Amino acid sequence: MGNDVDLLKHPVVSAAVGTAAVAVGAAEAAYRAAEKLPVFGPFIRRGVAGLSERGDRWVTKSADQFKAQIAAVAVGLVDLVLDELDLNALVRERLDIDALAADLDIEAVINRVDLITLADRVIEGVDLPAIIRESTNSMTAEVMTDVRTQGERADDVLAGIVDRMLGRGRDTR
Amino acid sequence: MISSETTPEAERSAGIVTRGLAAVIDLLVVLVIMSGLYGGLVLVRLVYSPSAFSLPSLNAVFSTVVTFIVAVGYLTACWTVSGSTAGAVAMGLRVVGRRSQRVGLPVGLLRAIGCVLFPIGLLWVVVDRRRRSLQDIVFRTHVVYSRPLAR
Repeated sequence: MGNDVDLLKHPVVSAAVGTAAVAVGAAEAAYRAAEKLPVFGPFIRRGVAGLSERGDRWVTKSADQFKAQIAAVAVGLVDLVLDELDLNALVRERLDIDALAADLDIEAVINRVDLITLADRVIEGVDLPAIIRESTNSMTAEVMTDVRTQGERADDVLAGIVDRMLGRGRDTR
Repeated sequence: MISSETTPEAERSAGIVTRGLAAVIDLLVVLVIMSGLYGGLVLVRLVYSPSAFSLPSLNAVFSTVVTFIVAVGYLTACWTVSGSTAGAVAMGLRVVGRRSQRVGLPVGLLRAIGCVLFPIGLLWVVVDRRRRSLQDIVFRTHVVYSRPLAR
């Protein structure tokens, strides 16, 4: 940037621009003078009109072609540049993604999403009945095992008490 | 009363607590079956004579006989088919014969009749060294913890 400013303010550039401006002014003045000449004026005017007409035609005819060519070249160029760049690294290096994320208006995004439909789709994807069945089954099995184990322990405790009351050992069952 | 017959550690005889609870559950099952039968009877009477319908009051002898038959049938079927009634499944118990893992039909039937007629015989489990009820002693059966389910 600083370079550009220096270049624009360079005396040589100023001088060249000044010279060009003077030349353009002189040419314009010469053309107007020639136009006003009695014999050459109409010729020149017609000639200039013809020239500009042909120019217009050429421009309209080849503009599309030209545009397409330029676009192709530009696309190729951009592709080349992109190929050379590691965009991920560039973004990681240059962008403060955390700051960007902090600035994101997530509320707006959420408002745009139909959460109910989304939730329905998520629930559809999850096989809830199977999960409920599984957990209920395992819970029931656990409770049953617990009841049986407790019952067995109670049997043993009671048998021990009776054995002690009757004054017999616990060697046989 | 010590016998040479040894019960392997894998088939420990069940005590009074589990067997008592199993008996209570079985009693409830029989009551549910009886109320189902009564409900069916009421519905049948309602279908055939809807105009002169009143809740049937049943003969006490008839009810007792039906209850007896239902209870004996239920116990016999469960013991001979799987060795476990609903209560026994809940408490992790199984009735086994003297030598086989299943109780035969005659033994099962007689044991069921004995249990229904003389349920108090179960209490002998408390004092018997090998945890047998009076019916177990008479019919030479055992009630054991069915291991794969119990633990």
